Amino acid sequence: MTLPSRSDLALLRRWVAARIRLTLRNPRALLFTFVFPLILVTVFSALNSGDRVAAMGDAGGKVPFAQFYTPSIGIFGLASACYTGVVLGIASARDAGLLKRVRGTPLPMSIYLGAWLIGAALTGIAAVVLLFAVAVPALGVHVYARMLPAALVTLALGAATLAALGLAVASLVRTADQAIPVAQLTFLPLSFISGIFYPLQGAPDWVVHLAHFFPLFHIVNAFDACFVPQTTVGGWSANDLAAIAVWGVIGLVVAARRLRTEPVTGDGRARRGLPRRDAVAGHVSRG
Amino acid sequence: MIANSLAVAGNGRPAAPHDEPAIQVAGLRKSYDGVVQALDGVDLQVRRGELLALLGPNGAGKTTLVEILEGHREADGGDVRVLGFAPGRREREFRARIGIVLQEEGLDPAITVREAIELYSAAYPHPRPADEVAELVGLSDRRDARVHTLSGGQRRRLDLALGIAGDPELLFLDEPTTGFDPAARRQSWDLIARLRALGKTILLTTHYMDEAQHLADRVAVIANGRMIAEGTPDTLGRGAGEAAVVAFRLPDGVELADLPLPPGAELEPRERRLFLRTTTPTRDLAPLLAWAAERDTELEGLTVGRPSLEDVYLQLTEEPT
Repeated sequence: MTLPSRSDLALLRRWVAARIRLTLRNPRALLFTFVFPLILVTVFSALNSGDRVAAMGDAGGKVPFAQFYTPSIGIFGLASACYTGVVLGIASARDAGLLKRVRGTPLPMSIYLGAWLIGAALTGIAAVVLLFAVAVPALGVHVYARMLPAALVTLALGAATLAALGLAVASLVRTADQAIPVAQLTFLPLSFISGIFYPLQGAPDWVVHLAHFFPLFHIVNAFDACFVPQTTVGGWSANDLAAIAVWGVIGLVVAARRLRTEPVTGDGRARRGLPRRDAVAGHVSRG
Repeated sequence: MIANSLAVAGNGRPAAPHDEPAIQVAGLRKSYDGVVQALDGVDLQVRRGELLALLGPNGAGKTTLVEILEGHREADGGDVRVLGFAPGRREREFRARIGIVLQEEGLDPAITVREAIELYSAAYPHPRPADEVAELVGLSDRRDARVHTLSGGQRRRLDLALGIAGDPELLFLDEPTTGFDPAARRQSWDLIARLRALGKTILLTTHYMDEAQHLADRVAVIANGRMIAEGTPDTLGRGAGEAAVVAFRLPDGVELADLPLPPGAELEPRERRLFLRTTTPTRDLAPLLAWAAERDTELEGLTVGRPSLEDVYLQLTEEPT
């Protein structure tokens, strides 16, 4: 029994808007998603001004430092909003009993969680747009119109995958206290080996192989390629996009399974040593 | 279920005759890890428009019972119907018709009172206007305050606001006034009484006997996973043979054995106050008053009272020693 889907879309829009509004009131999210990338790009571009780096390997030739660094750090902001933000946000919402509150209302959990994902993705994309809005005039970064469609698709797919993985990780950790180290320890080391802070050229093979396994490298690589004119046709990186999509599906499947089998954990019962809800599968007679 | 689906197709509501109870529970069982028997065959009926107070010591099974009725948990066995639905299936239509005020439900700390009321009621078919709801719970002047700036009592009132914002016909209130100052509590009682007057069905769990006495049409007491008593706040416990408590101070120089009283009177030695629980206070008092008049003795502090709900509750839930 469902209500008309038009009202569900209105409901989703309303929750996405609220989600974004609440994220913008969160100082931690503002700092890591919007401010920190701006500082990184400005400071490091000043320190390395005049340097040229081989952002896409030898085939791409060398580009000015800011031309490599701005899209890379953009992905850093995107991951902060979509991955870290979703892991911490949903884990603490569950800890605080917010998911339980939602479960007691007619709001479908899919709309509530969907609003988290869409809100995080839109916030992350806005952070990238803001970064370019500063970097293009201030640092002379070039945006190529013919590669813009590929850049936008890569950004959207990357945001969706990062948010889906954030949801999956949030569904796997037990408490919000665990979520902070788990989110940082999965994201930060990967950001170092995925070519965000410096190109991967010259790294040991095993580091490259490790990086290639995870999605972050592919998001960075595909997005960077959209700003290096010589590399690919129109900036499209089919292999990277496929790898990103696979990780997104994995994230969604894990999250869906976990949230279905363990729907209302995290109301604080586990920590107080009380019986876990749904510990015993039971049946109510449908009399 | 087929009958239900057909009726739903007709008018969006399941087939529920108006005289069908709002809550109907029979032989409800629930155990945790197959060991702890939280509910051991509970029967309960709550009529539409009735306010039932559910009392019981911590760990008696109150929370488990209420969470099964709300659809948060599934029972191991027994029948449970709430507004004609099987709550364990958690149909959206069911959730649109109930309101839940629990004790440990979170809220985004940065959301304002008005935003929370509007957002969390948006999925109900007929939400009440946010300003009206804020007014009802006495949060009008805090409408634009963020949740993390609210006091504990104000947070609790916001929980109540979110419970009623969707205008549900059945409301679950889990200790709604815990932590309130007396004025806020009176205000909440007025609100709950007003909701009841609007014909809402309310299931209230509370630790405050005066709350149950003040608000409830009927009281049910649960202990060790079983319903051990139920009735109106005034009649509860009469079945146990207790209509009245006679009390007075034992005159100086008189012993308990000197008095013409039926057996069972208890003496509280420090104050020398004597208590007699009886179903026949008039008959029991007659010889006593004659005895006192004969000796021209005044029975200081003589009272004949009904046991309070608290007395009855404490007696009912007393652990056997």
